[in-house]
Amino acid sequence: MAELDDIIHQPLRLKIMAALNALPATAGLEFSRLKKLTGATDGNLGAHIETLAKAGYVAVDKAFVGKKPQTTVSATASGRGAFARHVATLQEIIAASARRPE
Amino acid sequence: MIDSQQASEALAEINEVARRVRQSRIYNLASLMLIMWGVLVFAGYLGSFWLPRYAGYFWIALNVAGVAGSFAISAFGYPKTGIRTFDVRMLIAFLLFFAFGFLCTSVLGQFTPRQMGAVWPIYFMLLYIIAGLWMGHAFVAIGLGISVLALVGYFFIGDWFDLWMALVDGGGLILGGLWMRRS
Repeated sequence: MAELDDIIHQPLRLKIMAALNALPATAGLEFSRLKKLTGATDGNLGAHIETLAKAGYVAVDKAFVGKKPQTTVSATASGRGAFARHVATLQEIIAASARRPE
Repeated sequence: MIDSQQASEALAEINEVARRVRQSRIYNLASLMLIMWGVLVFAGYLGSFWLPRYAGYFWIALNVAGVAGSFAISAFGYPKTGIRTFDVRMLIAFLLFFAFGFLCTSVLGQFTPRQMGAVWPIYFMLLYIIAGLWMGHAFVAIGLGISVLALVGYFFIGDWFDLWMALVDGGGLILGGLWMRRS
């Protein structure tokens, strides 16, 4: 059985990747919306996004909309692949448990 | 390695987050439509109040503008979201819905302008309420709220009915759209 991805498996990073993977490939989520969707604090969310970005799983785009800075996070192709493998492993664990005799 | 219980919980969490993202995107796209239609409806009722003889022309023009605006919002949002919020099928559904309303209020029945002013928004809000059963409680709340206020206006607001409707229907859609953007 394949190993779970330790970077994605952390609860908040799992939520971040789940949210970004629910979008079309070209789309991203603003930091504020991601914060609302995951229920995380600014600092916590920023730290976990940085971990995902270092792994190459997400891309962070900082721009100004009018005079306001806006950070947009999107899943990279590598991140989408890693997330799909992580989900497949979770499903394998459940299937293996169902096959195992009591 | 985790056990199957923890794996199930992780998958449930993933599904819940994905559901919230989908709903957030639906609200975000719908909010622009609601605000646009709110402005048009507000203008329509003001037109009906100030120039009642031309009300029919106003409403035809506003509906045409609304459909064109809906296509524009859909086309503008498509590259970013990958979702077409208003396409040819939606246009056909809108026309069928409109045709049935026209049949009931102007062919089979002869509604007064005041009855028209109450029935059309309630008829359209019925769509919001039905859509809300699948797309989120905000649609249900907006649909029910405007329907109730339209009935209050019909029964209790005298000569100011069109202004009341501009406020509760037009204003209600604008506020509803702003509320959805924050949800």
